[in-house]
Amino acid sequence: MNLFDASLTVNLAGISLANPLIAASGCYGYGFDYRRWIDPGDWGAIVVKGTTLRPRTGNPPPRLVETPSGMLNAIGLQNPGIDFFLKSIRPQLPELQCPVLVNIAGETLEEYRQLAAILNSVTEVSGIEVNISCPNVKRGGVSFGGDPALVEELIGLVREVYRLPLIVKLSPDAGNIVSVAEAAWRAGADALSLINTIKGMVIDVQKRRPVLGNITGGLSGPAIRPVAVRAVWEVSAAVSIPVIGMGGIMQADDALEFILAGACAVAIGTANFINPAVAREISQGLRQYLCDHGFSHYRELIGAARP
Amino acid sequence: MLPDHNLIPHLIHQCTLIEINKVAENWYRLKLQAPAAAAYAEPGQFVHLRAGSASDPLLRRPFSIHNADSRANEIWLLIRVAGKVTSALAGLSPGGIINILGPLGTGFPVPDDEGSALLVAGGIGLAPLYFLTLRRQAAALPTELLLGGLTGNALPDDSFFFRDGVHPLIATNDGSRGYRGTAADLLEMRLQSGIRPTRIFACGPVSMLARVVELGRNCGLPVYVSLESFLACAVGACLGCAFPFKTDDHIEYRRVCRDGPVFSGEEACFELV
Ligand SMILES: Cc1cc2nc3c(=O)[nH]c(=O)nc-3n(C[C@H](O)[C@H](O)[C@H](O)COP(=O)(O)OP(=O)(O)OC[C@H]3O[C@@H](n4cnc5c(N)ncnc54)[C@H](O)[C@@H]3O)c2cc1C
Ligand SMILES: Cc1cc2nc3c(=O)[nH]c(=O)nc-3n(C[C@H](O)[C@H](O)[C@H](O)COP(=O)(O)O)c2cc1C
Repeated sequence: MNLFDASLTVNLAGISLANPLIAASGCYGYGFDYRRWIDPGDWGAIVVKGTTLRPRTGNPPPRLVETPSGMLNAIGLQNPGIDFFLKSIRPQLPELQCPVLVNIAGETLEEYRQLAAILNSVTEVSGIEVNISCPNVKRGGVSFGGDPALVEELIGLVREVYRLPLIVKLSPDAGNIVSVAEAAWRAGADALSLINTIKGMVIDVQKRRPVLGNITGGLSGPAIRPVAVRAVWEVSAAVSIPVIGMGGIMQADDALEFILAGACAVAIGTANFINPAVAREISQGLRQYLCDHGFSHYRELIGAARP
Repeated sequence: MLPDHNLIPHLIHQCTLIEINKVAENWYRLKLQAPAAAAYAEPGQFVHLRAGSASDPLLRRPFSIHNADSRANEIWLLIRVAGKVTSALAGLSPGGIINILGPLGTGFPVPDDEGSALLVAGGIGLAPLYFLTLRRQAAALPTELLLGGLTGNALPDDSFFFRDGVHPLIATNDGSRGYRGTAADLLEMRLQSGIRPTRIFACGPVSMLARVVELGRNCGLPVYVSLESFLACAVGACLGCAFPFKTDDHIEYRRVCRDGPVFSGEEACFELV
């Protein structure tokens, strides 16, 4: 079989992707910053930075610290707000030549509903990813994502006003991620993204103070991969909507772990910081794997690790 | 055959280390074979580098371009050993491979006039200002480099500078070399003697930068500072390296990696970092 016969195309909750690799929210700006290294069209889709109704200044520095095989971030959803997005970013999105999803975050149920209603009429945006799992903001974020009843209410409200593909992004900090996933599914989510970062902290022993300005931050990178693979394994068994897996994917084998655990697509965040061409390398690596093992489509591998 | 990093034009390079010298206590100068970076580098820009492929340490590290020679296809880095990656770099031998992204960031403003400049370097802050000195001297622009260090052997010796035709004014905290004091003290001294450059450029610790900006303000002189922060992506995408600036009445965060690392010092909120 020829390398390029190996197919990576996928229809994800109604969005057709050239490959199952998605640029993870908050790690890829609005899709333009990495164009010197990689054609945005090398991605299956790009999820833009968490967007809120009003502009947010973000958290005080330091916002980052490296940890063993990972990093903590506490950006605090710094973003210019939905109006700026519509006016200044939206007209440029077609240049990216791949589907774009907007990650939305609110402090109240009403804010999520309003954001979804606004984006419902934006043709340049293929879908939304509802972030109920950000660990770095005082209101909203993870405080919504932990309570299945609240998640069901929230996603129900969003579903009423949003017709296009609706993805819900979950956190392992939610306690029982499976119950939260089931609640989002019942409320009408078309797909689930998991995992968001895991809340953590680092203390500077010389200064005897927390390193991050926000005290705590979200852990990402290879350090969280086993937690993420476990979450995908459990959630994909419990729901019958597609699961997008993420957390520490650095190379093709890591992406394969998620796919074998049950993910229909994978998102890549932190790895872009280390290798801006990572998406291209992983799609080549996936093709090579399919070729070497005699599969013609990666679909055959989804959930294949399950006995 | 699958394409690899090397085939991506210009901006991710596998570079060979050509030469490495210890130039002061804990300081090393590295010369890298890096044709594209050498061709495009501007003073104040940096490279984001990685030596090895382990997941710990995970992130790349930023280093200013200390000199670029497009004929020899070389860039130089000047590195102070501070932790994991810098000690690994110090232990490399010629022939070693370093992976770099860059040149990245917004460097020092290219002078639009023939104005004179005072360059104020605190310690390893010398790295980018040395490149600026060389470029300005090559363009015959009046340039004076002021350099501060803790003690004499914390700074490179005279031959390091003289062979490039650079003649810095030096101060050390303990007075073991040059004047007794700091780089900011040297600036104050030069300003007091009536020198009025068109611009001041500075790189060094935050406390020094805050004082340099104030000294400049008192004389009505524009000060450009090269700032540091923790960087993850280094291309402007992750917003991790934000540095606070005051605009009107509110705080606004700008990206050290992309909007900087060089900024006009006037609005930087040094007291908040
Ligand atoms: C734009 C830019 C240009 C730079 N140019 C140079 C240069 O030319 N030469 C040079 O020697 N250094 C330069 N630095 C600083 C350099 O990036 C850090 O010293 C380096 O990342 C430390 O890595 P490490 O693995 O050796 O240390 P680590 O093991 O990561 O850390 C050791 C200690 O240093 C602290 N630290 C690490 N990174 C930073 C940072 N970015 N800012 C402040 N403290 C930090 C840590 O908190 C820790 O206490 C620059 C930084 C920036 C942002
Ligand atoms: C710097 C940074 C910013 C992030 N911002 C967001 C965000 O705005 N919204 C969101 O849903 N997830 C955000 N995330 C989480 C990522 O999208 C992803 O879920 C997580 O980092 C795990 O994947 P990774 O290990 O490949 O990075 C952010 C992660 C990082 C590292």
